[in-house]
Amino acid sequence: MCKKKPEANIIFIAITLFFVAFLFAPLLTLLANSVKTGQGLGFTNYIAVICDKDILIAIRNSVQVSIAAAMITTVVAFILAYAVNCTKIWWPLKTIIRVGIYVPMLLPTITYGFAIIYSFGKQGLLTKFFDRELFQIYGFNGLLIGYVIYTLPSAFLLLNNSFGYIDKKFIIVSTLMGDGVFRNFTNTILRPLIGTLGGTFVLAFILSFTDFGIPASVGGTYSVIATQLYQVMLGSIPNFNSGSVIAILMLIPAIFGILLLNYLEKFNFHYDTFTLTELPNNRVRDISFACLSISTVVAVTSIFVVMFIAPFAKNFPYDMSFTTQFFQDALFSRMIVDVYENSIFVAVISALLGTLISYSAAIINVRTTLSRRWKIGVDIFSMITNTVPGMVLGLAYLLLFNGSDLKGTFSIIIICNVVHFFTTPYLMAKNSLSKLNAAWETTGELMGDTWTQTIIRVIIPNSIHTIVEMFGYYFINAMVTISGIIFLVTARTSVVTSKIKELQHFANFNEIFVLSIVIFVTNISIKICCDLANKRLSSTR
Amino acid sequence: MPENMYTETVMKMLLKTLGVVNAVLELRNIRKQFDKKMVLDGINLVIQKGEIVSMLGTSGSGKTTLLNIILGLTPMDSGTILFEGIDISKVPMKERGFNIVFQDYALFPNLSAYKNIIYGLRNKPDLVSKQEVDGLIDFLELGPHLSKRIDQLSGGQKQRVALARTLATKPKILLLDEPLSALDGVIKETIKDRIKAIAQEYKLTTIIVTHDPEEALTMSDKVLIIDKGIVSQYGTPQQVVHQPSNNFVEEFILRQLKIKRDNIYNLFKECHV
Repeated sequence: MCKKKPEANIIFIAITLFFVAFLFAPLLTLLANSVKTGQGLGFTNYIAVICDKDILIAIRNSVQVSIAAAMITTVVAFILAYAVNCTKIWWPLKTIIRVGIYVPMLLPTITYGFAIIYSFGKQGLLTKFFDRELFQIYGFNGLLIGYVIYTLPSAFLLLNNSFGYIDKKFIIVSTLMGDGVFRNFTNTILRPLIGTLGGTFVLAFILSFTDFGIPASVGGTYSVIATQLYQVMLGSIPNFNSGSVIAILMLIPAIFGILLLNYLEKFNFHYDTFTLTELPNNRVRDISFACLSISTVVAVTSIFVVMFIAPFAKNFPYDMSFTTQFFQDALFSRMIVDVYENSIFVAVISALLGTLISYSAAIINVRTTLSRRWKIGVDIFSMITNTVPGMVLGLAYLLLFNGSDLKGTFSIIIICNVVHFFTTPYLMAKNSLSKLNAAWETTGELMGDTWTQTIIRVIIPNSIHTIVEMFGYYFINAMVTISGIIFLVTARTSVVTSKIKELQHFANFNEIFVLSIVIFVTNISIKICCDLANKRLSSTR
Repeated sequence: MPENMYTETVMKMLLKTLGVVNAVLELRNIRKQFDKKMVLDGINLVIQKGEIVSMLGTSGSGKTTLLNIILGLTPMDSGTILFEGIDISKVPMKERGFNIVFQDYALFPNLSAYKNIIYGLRNKPDLVSKQEVDGLIDFLELGPHLSKRIDQLSGGQKQRVALARTLATKPKILLLDEPLSALDGVIKETIKDRIKAIAQEYKLTTIIVTHDPEEALTMSDKVLIIDKGIVSQYGTPQQVVHQPSNNFVEEFILRQLKIKRDNIYNLFKECHV
């Protein structure tokens, strides 16, 4: 009676083994490497790294620019989310804000840097537009802009979601009670969101601190920890032990960040029931927020405009006559087609495998009667994958699988992607599966189904929308990631983002932008396909 | 089968044939704890074939736990469950042959009303004939709604689809968890009659869990009143009304019925004047 499902046990064991092999073992190898010295184990590597002036400067720079970026991102994301949720701005404008802000997510971060250079540089598009160089872009300023653009979509997503849990009725109550604008705002919006605002700051900080693409392109001589790690590992004299120490140092703020995120969650309050409430009219509020948010979206997207212009000009910005030569050259080049094919292959398989693993893990957690301890185990896998920056994971793989058959294969890149991006799809699936009726499995069993049959006949069809979204998330992220795979690609397994990094050496920016457009178009097509698939699935029900 | 069990089974079949034993379900000394809190403390119960029995109690009284134990969903700590005289305590839920309509119906929204009704038949195609399914659909007046999606059905229609889906598996005992709680007004009264009619038509032993005394007393042949995991009273509605066994039955069950009755009586009296 009420026996445990053997299929669930098997899935749990398989998932655990997967994470032991591809998360815990690589991280332990990394840790071991960082304390391995010529004379056995010790902290001499750490001491050497900490005493290295260059690395200390890089850490200081990283912290400074990440804090500045996180602060700006939090404020801007809040303004955007407020505009979407708490104003009566004309709805098409809200749609523009909601959609426009996600554009950067469809591009690799390394492209951001080049777009910034081509927009704000001496001969940049926006420099021409304003007829003067607005500021020095290489270093702090460029990184700051890049990080803000990079972290804004995730920050907006987080805040926008939390705004959904705020009962707007309280704005009315506060107004009726005679509260002034400031008190009304702090009591009904700021206070309920304080935890999420803290969380947004932490998230933006971690993302900036651990990103590699932006400093790789626009960092200049302003060194940050990610570029230091890259140089130590792939420079003229690779130093695996120092690299491991830097990776561990990179992991520490991420760990504290995630712990802080979980702690800040306590400050959020979710209203049990909330009603659709008409917001009070306020033209000043609507106009000011519409201007602020639309100009933000325009500013963000305008930086990328250059990406679509430069490769179609004969010699940007000197000879702006139209040509498709660069595009044709790139698209007909065997090498480019090869890396694109590689990218698509990696993204599709990562998406399929990633969706399968994260969905199965969520099923185990939400739809079975396995012991609580096991379920917490799966949550811990998710928390750790969320904590480990892509570069650290990639380096750990490099160290562990260097001598194995996995070295230099597509499999290692795919597995790295699956682990690196596990958390979000897993939480998406968990959230969706927990909302399904708890009695379906029992009903299925009483109707003669096995557990697996009920999963296939009922649970999967009723969460298919989430599965499609999970696939899309994995695909797009696998297409744009660079930090996770930079240590793992070889000449044979090179993907589009690593090719962009390679092209940087030859200052071949036209080809870089062509490749970025290819990624962008691919990702936008996948996004549209996923949305269409979900619409179709809804209508065929 | 061990010899003593064989003898027991033969004896029971003999007694049944002679009409001495007609109990379809018998619970003996059922106990259940959750987190060291006693939820059911020695429940004994005998249900005759074709009877409608309501389990009535306040929330947290243990009635739903008892229903889940009978179904085989929740394991009990100790006690025995006999079905037609045979011990089924260790028989898994799937093999007991009972079926349930959940409080929220648990209909599958990816399937149409009709596909929900015939869901179980894919696993057991020989269980019922097409005519029987059609008969069931007619009986529950579901004909016009078969191709509808679940979210296009009203509360009462959902309830009937869930009943049809469960009845199509020909359950040996029908269990209903708060079957009327999501319904209101006239629909509630119609479903009440329908449940009684099903029990009669299919000679189906039916166990209903409810927290509403009016429902329990007007729908059932017998009412089991549970308070804090113990049986307060088990008898016909007349016995409960006229011979309440203790203070709980008097205060909890009968008092609210009397208040209701007086309110309605006064209302109609005033209207009449």
